[in-house]
Amino acid sequence: MRIMIIGGGNVGYYLTKSLSAEKHHIMIVEKDSSRCEQISSDLSSKRIELTHGDGTDVECLREAGIFHTDVLIAVTGHDQNNLAACQLAKDYFGVKQTISRVKNPKNIRVFEKLGVDSVISSTERIAGIIDRELDWADVNKLLKERSFNVRLQEITVEQGSNFERKRLKDLGLPKGLILIAVLRGDQAIIPNGETRLETGDLVILWGDASDMANTLEQHANS
Amino acid sequence: MYIIIAGCSKVGASLVNRLSEEGNDVVVIDRDEENFSQLGSGSNCMSITGVPIDEDILKEAGIEKADALAAVTTDDNTNFMVAQIAQQLYHVPKVITQTKDPEKQLVLTAMGLQTICPTTLTVESFFNSLKKGENEK
Repeated sequence: MRIMIIGGGNVGYYLTKSLSAEKHHIMIVEKDSSRCEQISSDLSSKRIELTHGDGTDVECLREAGIFHTDVLIAVTGHDQNNLAACQLAKDYFGVKQTISRVKNPKNIRVFEKLGVDSVISSTERIAGIIDRELDWADVNKLLKERSFNVRLQEITVEQGSNFERKRLKDLGLPKGLILIAVLRGDQAIIPNGETRLETGDLVILWGDASDMANTLEQHANS
Repeated sequence: MYIIIAGCSKVGASLVNRLSEEGNDVVVIDRDEENFSQLGSGSNCMSITGVPIDEDILKEAGIEKADALAAVTTDDNTNFMVAQIAQQLYHVPKVITQTKDPEKQLVLTAMGLQTICPTTLTVESFFNSLKKGENEK
């Protein structure tokens, strides 16, 4: 695919790096000349086209190759510039797909209504994760209040821990405790006895409160 | 008329002064409070400090009941965004935006936004004055 990226900051830079590794043709537009020099020297081995200019300027977009663009991704640090780039691309140049980053999560709705195909907010993503964490705490609070003797917990498999590189069936978990999920990178694994844990895995345990306390203690001391 | 002016630039401030002198209800939004010092002492408009591309700020300014909005901040893309929020999301009956780039003016007009370009206007008046001088020779 031919992908145009507007904004060569950190997000644009790493996006270019990973997308060009997947054999996409990348065109990147950056306003700042010293940033352009840095990108061109760092990514000189990659097949990318770099244009120095304003990605919300009609002439600049033409020069950067907007007529041969399948997807435009706007990742500058300013929401208004990202919107302008996406709309010029879509409504004026007929680019099929536009993706934008927003800083202000409230702008997700605005961008979607104004025709941007996909809108991404890292603030909202992180807030979402924190929300889920809070739900977690609520679950345990509820269990405790209603005097159920069960708990839900998460453990990170650190280097050197007694969980590291072990299969589930060899962990020696007490009978009252089950391991319900392994979160690895962006994968959520529903484990079985053969599943082997790796360093950095986040595992979720569910079960008897005293078994849970013992297991957590053992794990912490390992 | 209930009018919102986004951006208390030189243009914005003069516009606010004239419109409120005429008896309109005017609300002006600017991210920099200091810019409000350009407003005339007689002007009884409401001023709001904030970023005009924030929907909450626009709501506070009364976008839901506005008859007209003019986007005249010094940043073209901010104007573009404010104008579109007003026109497409809040259906403000009259929306006017400003851009410094004559080519972008054509594009925005094609996209259905009433757009004023100070560059084009200035060039035109210079051109006409020069021509006029020539004809009188």
